[in-house]
Amino acid sequence: MIALVRYMSTVLLLSQRYLAPLLLFLGLVAVLTGSDTGPLTATYASVAGAMLPCSVWLTMTLIGLEDQAHRSIVVVSAGGPLRVLLATVGTAAIWCLLLMSAGLVLPLLFGTHTPGLADLALGTAAQLTCAFTGIAIGLVCSRLVFRRQGYALVLALVLLLAVLLGKGVSPVNLMLTHLQNASDSADALAPTGALLAVTAGFLAAALAVTQAITRRKA
Amino acid sequence: MLRCEAVGKRYGGGRWILSDVDMEVATGDVLAVVGSNGSGKSTLLRILVGLSQPTTGSVSGRPPRIGYVPDRFTGHDRISAISYLTHMGRIRGLSTSAARARGHHLLERLSLVGGWNAPLRTLSKGNAQKVALAQALLVQPDLLVLDEPWSGLDASAHSVLAEFIDEVAAQGGAVVFTDHREAITETHARGAYTISDGRVTSRGGRHAGSRTSMVELVLTVPPTGIMPIEVNWSVLPGVTDTAQRGGEVVLRVAREHSDAVLQTALQHRWSVASLAEAADERSCRADARGTAL
Repeated sequence: MIALVRYMSTVLLLSQRYLAPLLLFLGLVAVLTGSDTGPLTATYASVAGAMLPCSVWLTMTLIGLEDQAHRSIVVVSAGGPLRVLLATVGTAAIWCLLLMSAGLVLPLLFGTHTPGLADLALGTAAQLTCAFTGIAIGLVCSRLVFRRQGYALVLALVLLLAVLLGKGVSPVNLMLTHLQNASDSADALAPTGALLAVTAGFLAAALAVTQAITRRKA
Repeated sequence: MLRCEAVGKRYGGGRWILSDVDMEVATGDVLAVVGSNGSGKSTLLRILVGLSQPTTGSVSGRPPRIGYVPDRFTGHDRISAISYLTHMGRIRGLSTSAARARGHHLLERLSLVGGWNAPLRTLSKGNAQKVALAQALLVQPDLLVLDEPWSGLDASAHSVLAEFIDEVAAQGGAVVFTDHREAITETHARGAYTISDGRVTSRGGRHAGSRTSMVELVLTVPPTGIMPIEVNWSVLPGVTDTAQRGGEVVLRVAREHSDAVLQTALQHRWSVASLAEAADERSCRADARGTAL
């Protein structure tokens, strides 16, 4: 599994296709949190919101990098498509962790805050919630499911809007609205953790759906 | 080892690309799958290696270590050839140094031109094909599946590929490959399947007219009168029937063993009176079954 993640990360790194989502994320973080002096809960909510489209983009890019012949070889070498898919999710998650560390630190540099441990934990949980949701959307809109990436892009945008704006149903929307109004990170940690668990379930479901569709189409 | 039973394949509600395919691959086999473009050769190979699920029927006994070379290896990757092989070796469980050493060894044998550190995307078709071949042999495969491996390879690489195939077969692995050129499959394969209209037949079945899997060999005492050495023909591999007809010995030999039997006969000072294709009873039966279906 480590070998697979290393291979996929190398391909992504060499392709330089990671740059666009990375720059979008940095740009969004800079705009949303620049000279911000409010409570860190709202700040990290904005950063988590920025993570959402970037994680979708990264995942779709990562899967779209390899053509069918290369993927076939990797699947045969690794001993099955499920392992390759898990490694893809792992690679996307690792890249999102890189974004996340930037998302944790940059607001502290751009604005004036006094961060505590609870703030950082909340920032991590909030961004992970969005990253998991984003990877899940990226998986079902990837080339594995949609050969025609134009349709996939439209679907990805619709799903993104749905999870951002779906009042009362989308865990991302619930979390973001809750964090905008919360003032204390320690209090907001528990509900955010619960929503993180829910989105981890989303990710698992997206993985199962993608695996099933890939097997059917193969 | 690997056995396909009544395998059929179609994508969605499209036409049946394969139907009712029975195929068996044993250890040490070198099998060719021959068919025209678009006849379903690649689909059959993808089912054999487990990339594709058969719509009907089942595939059993797939070995753990499989080497697969797809028909197209269009490298648009920026990763270098040797680095690619190292990564693939690691994915197969080798250590970094072992994978790199094995990659070096294979590329050296295949004499890759264009630089081992050149990105895959800059390699020509033939050189990319060499890299594709090398990745399938990073660990000694139990099953080596090659989709049109000769296309794009130069003459020297042809012989290296033949060596690779023999090595895999000699070490208890099996090789299945496709090609549309009959000359190549005849030289390299020890058995062949023909694929047409989605049906797969063992060579000699459907095309009995053009190709037989049995040879009738008639041997006599040489005209010089020197008495040949007696040979117990029936124990030779591939000999299915022996008969005495006057002073002549009539042998029925499987096509893949006929050259060896001929050599034995000549070494024992027999003279060849005639050598002819013979109808194969097995394939006649296969034909009958094919018509019944």
